[in-house]
Amino acid sequence: MNEAVRTNFDIKDYLRLEMMPHFMCPGCGHGIALRCLLWAVHELGVDKNRLAVVSGIGCSGRVGAYIDANTFHTTHGRPLAFATGLKLARPDLTVVVITGDGDCLAIGGNHLIHACRRNLDITCLMLNNEVYGMTGGQVSPTTAIDRLTTTTPHGNAEPTFDACRLADAAGASFVGREVTRQAPALKSVIKAGLAHEGFAFIEVLSDCTEIYGRKNDLGESPEMILAQKSDMRPEAFGNAADEPFRPNRLRAGVLVQRDRPEYGRVYRERAAAERAKAKAKG
Amino acid sequence: MRAEPKGEQAAAATRALNVMIVGVGGQGVLMISKALALIGQKQGLQVKQSEVHGMAKRGGAVFSHIRFGVEVWSPTIARGEADALIALEWAEGLRWIDYLRPETGVFIADTRRIVPPFACRSRRHGAPMAYARETPAEALEKVGEGFALDATAIATTLGEPRAANTVLLGVLSTSLDMPAADWLAVLDALTPPKSRAINLEAFRAGRAWAEAARDDPTLRFDAGFVPRARPADAPDMSVALVINAAWCKGCDICVKLCPERCLVLDAEQVAFLKAPHACTGCRVCEWLCPDFAIEVRTAVREAAGA
Ligand code: SF4
Ligand code: SF4
Repeated sequence: MNEAVRTNFDIKDYLRLEMMPHFMCPGCGHGIALRCLLWAVHELGVDKNRLAVVSGIGCSGRVGAYIDANTFHTTHGRPLAFATGLKLARPDLTVVVITGDGDCLAIGGNHLIHACRRNLDITCLMLNNEVYGMTGGQVSPTTAIDRLTTTTPHGNAEPTFDACRLADAAGASFVGREVTRQAPALKSVIKAGLAHEGFAFIEVLSDCTEIYGRKNDLGESPEMILAQKSDMRPEAFGNAADEPFRPNRLRAGVLVQRDRPEYGRVYRERAAAERAKAKAKG
Repeated sequence: MRAEPKGEQAAAATRALNVMIVGVGGQGVLMISKALALIGQKQGLQVKQSEVHGMAKRGGAVFSHIRFGVEVWSPTIARGEADALIALEWAEGLRWIDYLRPETGVFIADTRRIVPPFACRSRRHGAPMAYARETPAEALEKVGEGFALDATAIATTLGEPRAANTVLLGVLSTSLDMPAADWLAVLDALTPPKSRAINLEAFRAGRAWAEAARDDPTLRFDAGFVPRARPADAPDMSVALVINAAWCKGCDICVKLCPERCLVLDAEQVAFLKAPHACTGCRVCEWLCPDFAIEVRTAVREAAGA
């Protein structure tokens, strides 16, 4: 992560300018995550026309729409399923999935574990803001214990998911996590995920300021983003099942990177072998 | 300046001999202070030593006062009363130079520079360092007798750069009337077995250098010393902030997270660069603006991007 910070990256080259300013609330961390994704794409020199961004439903689902590339706004929880089909059909594309904590872990939880298991070359960015923001602030699988949401008016009593540990256990060959406050570090993690051949799961700890922050009295946008750093302590790789999600001891950076056969490659080799067999037969 | 030998003449000595040793944390100021104190005791003198090493672990200043004499009362040396000043770090040496006796004080300094973080007064790229720019030749003009050598280089050729402190002790030994055998015996007893040989070697190397320099004044300062760039030599960076008012949502993130606090929200709740001179072009605001409303342009970037 020691590449030069000074680049001639201009985010406007990668945005659909006619759609700006974007619809996100003031101070929403998703904008920072979007910048980091585009920054990583720029530094890797990925051609916009060969970049496919698939997103689901929720605030995170809208993030993809501002990218001047091939974007797909799919149904709730299904971006990984769409992306799987896309990547198998068009292995030449760089496929990125932008999803949220609800989209990825609740509605699309099943797709996530199988995408991890399958290890197709997709980069999945899960923007975790601990809440269903777009639908009015309901509890999500990552809402911290005791937090107030519209569906937990007396405080959330459910334990939370540690998405990185989940992805690791399901076999993801790359798992990373970073906070939006550390934008250059987040960019580096995304870059490593994009460069990794296989399924890369990246959890971005983002802030929902207007709905979640306000309801829980976490301060305004600057206070929330300033609090991020103290949340990240390099002690454990997640033990969120036993502890409230935030503040806790979450490790950031590239957490897991292992060598596993990329599914698309395996699939194409098998298909070619089968075709050769069929041809030989007659 | 000569130390009075023990015996009858020592009783005649009316004042103590004052040596100051200065440096930064980790250089071994206290180790050679202890050696010097033991050598003084070996001569049958009273020794008082005191030291300050507040932020030493973080590369902060360390200094030690050693006073020898038939009778020594105060443990500290007053300004203008040190007979010798040993500096393990160049700027520390210059900082304490007025503690030397104006005409007779001996200045012995390593010309190696350890630039502390706080020498960086501005976070702007290419900002000048607030670090001494005197050359050894200029510094030696200010003192009665001076030696400015690259002791670290001498110690490095012996295989251990950290033995620079003992090299300087070797230089000091030629200024004091104490037998070389006593110095070596003290070092031998004081240093741990692992570094004993190298310390004795470093002491001899320092002594040999000083004896050569006494004969030939041109050797007294390190001629290879290159002063740090003056501000005029440092590249000038121009920084410009472009704020897109139409995209700014007034979230206050840039205002509160700018390390220089140079942004404010104006009456329309749009970010505004209130203190353009304070802006260092660090890009924190550009990175953290969720609405991409700030672009930081620097001269270097424009030159590279053009
Ligand atoms: S670049 Fe932005 S954050 Fe950095 S000093 Fe300038 S105004 Fe502040
Ligand atoms: S961070 Fe961006 S949107 Fe927020 S106040 Fe600053 S310029 Fe405006």
